Amino acid sequence: MSVPISVVVEGAILGLNYGLLAMGLTLVYRTSRVVNFAQGQLGVVAAVFMVKLYYDFGFYYLAALVIALALAAAAGAGSELLLRRLYGRPRVQVMVATIGLSQVLYLLTVLPFIRPKKLFRPFPVPIHLTFHIGSFLFAPGQVLTLIVAPVVTVALALFVRYSSWGLAMRAMSENSDSARLSGVWVRRVSTMAWTIAGVLSAVTAFLASPSQTSALTQVLSPDLLLLALLAALLGGMFSLPVAFVAGIGVGIVQEVLGWNINSPSTGTATVELILFVLLQGALLLRGASLQGRRRGVERASWTTGTASFRPVGEAFRLKVGNAGVVLALVACTALPLFVGVGRSFLMSQICIYAVIALSLTVLIGWAGQVSLGQVAFVAVGADVATHFSQSVPLLPLLLLAGVITAAVSVLVGLTALRIRGLYLAVSTLAFALFMQTSVLSTSCWTVPFVHRRICSGLPNPESTLVSRPSLFGLSLSSERAFAWFSLGVLVVSVLIVRLWRDHGVARRLIAVRDNEEGAAAAGIPVMRTKLLAFALSGFIAGYAGVCLALATERFSTATFDPTVSLLVVSMVVIGGLDSVPGAVLGALYLVGLPAIFGTTSTTQFLTSGIGLLAFILYLPGGMAGVMHRGGDLVADALSRGLDRWRTNEEVPPSAAVGDAVSEAQA
Amino acid sequence: MSEERPVAARLEVTDLSVSFGGLLALDGVCLVVEPGSVTGLIGANGSGKTTLLDAISGFVIPSGGTMHLDGVALSDYIPEERVELGVVRSFQDCTLYPELTVHDTLMLNEDARRAVGVISTSLQLPWERRTERAKRRAVDNVVESFGLGRFRDHLTGHLSTGTRRVVDLASIVLARPRLLLLDEPTAGIAQREAEAFIPLLRRLHEVTGCTVLIVEHDVPLVFELCPMVYVMQSGTVVASGSPDELRHDPRAVAAYLGASEEATAVTGPIGRAGP
Repeated sequence: MSVPISVVVEGAILGLNYGLLAMGLTLVYRTSRVVNFAQGQLGVVAAVFMVKLYYDFGFYYLAALVIALALAAAAGAGSELLLRRLYGRPRVQVMVATIGLSQVLYLLTVLPFIRPKKLFRPFPVPIHLTFHIGSFLFAPGQVLTLIVAPVVTVALALFVRYSSWGLAMRAMSENSDSARLSGVWVRRVSTMAWTIAGVLSAVTAFLASPSQTSALTQVLSPDLLLLALLAALLGGMFSLPVAFVAGIGVGIVQEVLGWNINSPSTGTATVELILFVLLQGALLLRGASLQGRRRGVERASWTTGTASFRPVGEAFRLKVGNAGVVLALVACTALPLFVGVGRSFLMSQICIYAVIALSLTVLIGWAGQVSLGQVAFVAVGADVATHFSQSVPLLPLLLLAGVITAAVSVLVGLTALRIRGLYLAVSTLAFALFMQTSVLSTSCWTVPFVHRRICSGLPNPESTLVSRPSLFGLSLSSERAFAWFSLGVLVVSVLIVRLWRDHGVARRLIAVRDNEEGAAAAGIPVMRTKLLAFALSGFIAGYAGVCLALATERFSTATFDPTVSLLVVSMVVIGGLDSVPGAVLGALYLVGLPAIFGTTSTTQFLTSGIGLLAFILYLPGGMAGVMHRGGDLVADALSRGLDRWRTNEEVPPSAAVGDAVSEAQA
Repeated sequence: MSEERPVAARLEVTDLSVSFGGLLALDGVCLVVEPGSVTGLIGANGSGKTTLLDAISGFVIPSGGTMHLDGVALSDYIPEERVELGVVRSFQDCTLYPELTVHDTLMLNEDARRAVGVISTSLQLPWERRTERAKRRAVDNVVESFGLGRFRDHLTGHLSTGTRRVVDLASIVLARPRLLLLDEPTAGIAQREAEAFIPLLRRLHEVTGCTVLIVEHDVPLVFELCPMVYVMQSGTVVASGSPDELRHDPRAVAAYLGASEEATAVTGPIGRAGP
């Protein structure tokens, strides 16, 4: 296997982009302990604006460059100012906030004074140098990357090594509180880090865009971000040079693998497989070694916060709350009678996504295991449905899918025994991507080196029809009937999860999350408990997957895009991390609202992106917290009303007023 | 309360060594804790007291030596299993579980003995409900007797350190220890509350009837409680004996007590509140 030099160089050029992104991620993580999912989008705004300046306004390249970079810097600094108030919060919340941020940044590129008139134009490149290696021609954009990326990296390294800002950043990454006490102005430093991250992201976008058709292509596409994250993690989320070199390495590995396995149908799937295995290996090695060093930090920062906890209130408040739940349930049951097919379908969707969100409430909210790949487990459940929906009755099918998915989930959870927090999040995101791109979207592919063919058993992964079985002889083929079925599944799920919460399953998970050693010292089997969390969560996700496949009546890989995982995590976070009703409310908000207010991308981004940020910034308890507070207000008003009504009957009002006055005087 | 086993266990540690990288944290520690006794362990910071507790409870794997509980080699068991054998410990920081209520925290100790079945809980099978009720009764009794009723439904993360220590002691009672390892039970609480801890610890010892090994910086407290005290210095036991013997043992005084007498002079002996 002699690999042509040109392939290696091409990989290195690709890797330079990963490296730049990875350095941005590292810099932000070091100063503010945030995994910035908006790292790619920060620069996209600037890249789009650059096209506008260059073509629409006819700016010189250099002038346009300076203005666009300034915009990127401003975007970075602005983001930091926005997210600054979140730094004391659980880190899952901050992570989801950056997802919201990336959507808001995308929204910016749609604004008329940023978006160019024509999108599909070649991105401006200041040089016209090209060169050949063998028969391969390297374009000016690639040449530019080869020149600019190393220069930027060296400049950044010198800045961090020798400037006082750099020293402050290094101090903050070791111990932010101590740095603050020794006079480091931590907020300014973290703003600075974000500003630099914005510029780095813009440089990446400028360098990557010339080879693409439009600057608008999402730099945030999960696979690119994932590879950049991998590079950053290999640098321990600490070392900039290692992250940069690792980025180049990842790029070269990717290209060389792609060249080696060049049969068109199986090529990408195999590359993904090998990358996935490499990534898991790297995460396990690196994550375990790093966590020994910073175990305390990692442990303390992944708890969920006590946002949704309510001290037991008056019995009357509880009664009013229960009455509210019953009323809502009655209303939901009646709803399919009054709405059309489309709305009934939407209702099933909301119910099913609520069940998926519940599976994350168990895993993230209780067990503290941040999984960004939940949709992959849903996909496993859906896959089971496509195979057995005709041969197995519905209820056993739900159980079967649940059990199979639980088993898969436990296998993935085995990595969580060694790593947790951020590393687990990245590992599960990789799993979701791997499932979508390799296992599900390719019906058959060859495993390299052993040359075995593996088939997922789906005749056509793009779209396999699934027909709905009947439930106890009742047909579910109408949307109305299916809406009732979905509601039933949701109600049963909520009841079971509530039982777990109130009757002891959850307390074990929470105990292990909060204090692993303490739980072990109390005799709770730690490993089994961790795996139990994955099994429970996988079980729920599995039968939710069956419902999802039956609802859409087809299995298509597009449904299981990793970004859907991020959406479900967002549901849980804005609903209230460890709250059962929160998961339902979150699904209602993120699935229901965009559909009701029209399906244009702008409205969707408005509700999800801006709404998400607003919720996280201003309502730390999530929607569940709001609901509880609102319910308590209603209950208090009701009880005051009842009191007044009673006193009116018994005491003449004048006497009551007189009592009050004399009391006030006394 | 049905299963009966000899309550107090005998701990015998022989030639125990623990190394962290190149650093020898414990270097050939030998000690014996007689069944039913209260034994103290004192020494300067970094002398290996907590490491010794970690090794006995299984959180640190020793590089050499043996630990026997009534003749059973502890090294064969992971921490969770050692709890079943009756080795129960408290932690110096007493974090407990910030996001569990006091009630749930105590329930965990019952769960450890009678595990919660997921399927039987989901289906609310009668025996699961009975077990849960029995657990609740046991916990409620302990909550009552430790005067924690007011805090029953508070998150432990919201409690003061002193109250958390009481919750910790309550959970120890529920865990039914045979060997109890206490790691600085009075760390982080005020002098006056620490004095109130002496009768509480005595009572705990009487109620559980177990063997106690206590690590503590508060020398007067240890001398008050423990008829037998070991003094550690840089990973080895340098002196042992009754408090009276230790007061006149030059090695003990040099290792720890010397500094401690000065400390007593500053903070004042028991009976007077410190500054």
